[in-house]
Order: sequence, then C-alpha cells, then structure tokens
Amino acid sequence: MSPSKPGSASTTLAELSSQLAAAVETASNFIVAIHARRRIPSSGIVWRDGVIVSASHTVKRDDETPVTLPNGETTTATIVGRDSATDLIALRVKGAKSHIAPRADADAVRVGSLVLAVGRPGRDVAASFGIISAIGEGWRTWQGARIDRVLRLDVAVYDGFSGGPLVDASGAVLGLNNSALARGTPMALPGAAVDRVVDELLERGHVRRPFIGVAVQPVALSVSLVKQHELTRDTALLIVSVADGSPADKAGIFVGDVLLEGDGKALSRPTDLLDVLSTIRSGDSIKLKYLRGGAVKSGSVTPSDRGGRE
Amino acid sequence: MNISTLGSARATSSNLNGMSELLRQAVVEVRSGESGSGAGIIWGGAGLVVTNAHCVRRGAPLQVGDAGKWRGAQALAYHPQHDLALLAAPSISGPLLEIRDPESLRAGELVFAFGHPLGVRDALAMGVLHAVARDGRTKYPRWIVADVRLAPGNSGGPLVDAEGRLVGINSMVVNGLGVAVPAGLVQQFVERALSQRAA
Repeated sequence: MSPSKPGSASTTLAELSSQLAAAVETASNFIVAIHARRRIPSSGIVWRDGVIVSASHTVKRDDETPVTLPNGETTTATIVGRDSATDLIALRVKGAKSHIAPRADADAVRVGSLVLAVGRPGRDVAASFGIISAIGEGWRTWQGARIDRVLRLDVAVYDGFSGGPLVDASGAVLGLNNSALARGTPMALPGAAVDRVVDELLERGHVRRPFIGVAVQPVALSVSLVKQHELTRDTALLIVSVADGSPADKAGIFVGDVLLEGDGKALSRPTDLLDVLSTIRSGDSIKLKYLRGGAVKSGSVTPSDRGGRE
Repeated sequence: MNISTLGSARATSSNLNGMSELLRQAVVEVRSGESGSGAGIIWGGAGLVVTNAHCVRRGAPLQVGDAGKWRGAQALAYHPQHDLALLAAPSISGPLLEIRDPESLRAGELVFAFGHPLGVRDALAMGVLHAVARDGRTKYPRWIVADVRLAPGNSGGPLVDAEGRLVGINSMVVNGLGVAVPAGLVQQFVERALSQRAA
C-alpha cells in the first residue's frame, strides 16, 4: 500500500511520539522485574548503586528474591528493609551493574504535566501515559505515614506497574508508582519521600515511627468544662485503650483519660497526635495535658520506636 | 522534554485534527443484522473492508456505512483465530493507510484509535503503545497492546501511529488495555483470502 499521511503538520505529533518512546527507552535502563508473587512480577527501580526500591506489598517473600535486570540477566536480591507505612521496600543486588535512575526536578512537576508510568511486568518494559491530575500536600497514608507531597495520576497503573517509576518526558524519575497505597487510585510517591525512607532503611533496616501505645477517639467537651479550664478547643481525644507495657502505660495514662494537649498543641483529631509524634526526636519526651475525673492533669511520656516490629 | 517540540498544545491539537480527518475517510461503520455496530477499515483504496470477525453475524444481512450512507456488503473471508473478516463493498473508497512494521514499535510511542465507541460516530482516542505480545512458539507479534481507552464500537477500527500508519485492528479490551491484531497479520490475511478467491 502506498503511504498517506495526515498532512504536513504531522511532524510535531511524530516528534512527540518519538520523544515519549525515547523516554521509555531511557527508563527501561533502570527498571527491574521482581519475581516475588504469583502471576505477574512487579517492577522495581535501581535507586542507588546496588539498591533497588519497589512497592512493599508486591514483594511477598522475605528471603532471596529473583530479579530480572534491565539487560535481561536474572540475579537474586536480598531485602534490606520495608516500611509498611509508605509501602516501600529496599533490596540489595550484588555484582550487577545497572544505570541508576536519573531524578527529575520535583519542583517542576505541575498539575497537567505529561508523564509516563513505566513498568517491567515481564521481560520487556511496558508504558502508559497521561498527566498529573492533582498534587496532594500533607497527605497521610492509611498506615499513618505523613507524606509532604503526593502525585495523583490520570495514568493507568496496570498490573505489575506498582514499584515502577513515574517519569517525565525525558525519562527522568518523578516518583514511584503505587496502586495500593491510596486504595486503588493511581498515585506516585515523590522521589524525595522515597529518598528519606531509603536512607533510614539502609541505615537501620526499618523506619522509626515513635509510638506511645494508645488508641484514641475524638469526643466533644461540655461548654462548662471548656469554660472552667479555659480550653482552646471543644473537642479532645478520649483514650479508649492502652497497650500493656507501652510508653503510655508506663507514664500512668489510663483508659478514660481525655488528652487535651501534646507539647502545647491542642489535640482534637487523632492526626493531631500523630503530627506531634512525628515532630519529636528519638529519646525525647512529650508533655501531655489531659482530663481525669474532671480535673486537668499533666504528665510526660517518652515514645518508643515501633518501626522494628511492624 | 523540549518545550518547542510539543510546540504548543495548539500545534499538537491541529495535528490531531488532521489525524482525525484522515481516519474518518478511511473508516466505515459495519452493521450486521439488528445487532450493534462496529468499525471497519477501507482496504486497498476501494472495494474492500476489513473488520473484526466478531462484528459480523454470519448469515445476517451486512451493511457498511460511510458518512451516514449505508450500502450492502458481502463477507469474502473469515479468520476466527485472528478475529478478522474481509468484506466486499464495491461502491466504497478511501485513502490508503501505510502499514507499520510491528518490529519497529517502541513502548511509549503515541497511538490513536478511531471508531464508534458506544455508538458515538468517528471518535478519536489517544494513548501510548504498552507492549507487543508475541506468539509463544513462533515469537512473531501476535497482539499489539496499547494504553488507550476503547469501548464496544471500536472493534474493527484502526490503531495508528503518530504518522497515521496502521499499527493494528482494535479487537478487544483486556484488563483495561486495548488489544489489536497487528497490521502485518491483517495484510497476510487479506492477501491469502484474495489469492484463494483468484485461484
């Protein structure tokens, strides 16, 4: 058949097309396939020299894990550590030399930027295409991790794509795709957030998450209580359980106490408590103000590190 | 990305318009009996239409629609494994589409689907090439998989590249991905069907 083309202006479209394909080719140099579950393997990114990151939920084993490298070789990786709160896992591969993923300037990402999700759900890479649909600020995962920026995608994250990179049109990494972290809606964790977790995983094998061992529920305070104690908010956090031997238990906190303030900050939602916990350094204590039997009491609690026993 | 290449969204958009215009001339509607319709591609410039076998109900009267006009057509050949059917539609003509070699396809390049999804006539959808699925034994391209949104009514319509070359014939949706029969297999099917008839 003889050629027929959609007009002379088609060069723009053809150039865009070939740039997108080139971006995928660039990305293919740092994407591995991780064989740690049934059916379709998941994707991983060569994040640093000898270090692969992926989505933790896709790696359903804790021993030596087979990995297909970009050059087609298969090797085994060992697990450095996981962080279930951000659903990230770091693995180490020996010997094999791979390109390290180039990072895109995260500040250049805007709603509407063209992006590609690239995965290796088998031997070859596969791609999907779309735009950043929203950028969430200060998002908290359902496991409690706080992430400064999260990229919501109008891009299909197909089976086997979780753990693979979201790349810009030059093939540089903007983030790590995950279809499970936001309950099925496609999103990507920005590179900076992945870096912070990888730093901790490499250093100690887990991410420190200070905890005090209580379950809380917001409750409304009566007007007279608020007046009597000159409180700033009319809701506070009722302690509904205290774990045995936990920092809260040791600090003498009981079920039925109502938390008013932590380190001087009002506690009216459970996330307020998480915010206070996430700002303290290891070994520091938190000053608590709470109601017990109608009287305001104060005390302090020294959070411990939950990260190691998730 | 080089900003000047994307040009401006406007330049890309006018390209898409040209793409849509080319495909509108190359694509027909296929109706068989009272059932819903699919799309078809005018093959070889005139007289022939290729569509999916599943768009043609055997024994039912067959019609192809071009710009709202319906004409009678006859089925010449079927290939159920590749989900292809070749129709004779003597009074119909359209542009020739160049065939894209599936071996040169790269994941991430732009692809376009054209058809009549859910009865919406002459709709263009854009996506990227996801992967080329190969036959387990022969290793030849067996299916073209694309990240492009398809719906019933896209069946039998073309999947083309950024230069309007035919990549495949859209056949089904699997896990949300569009799946097309490679254009090379379509060409083989048509050539065999015609030579058998000539013999």
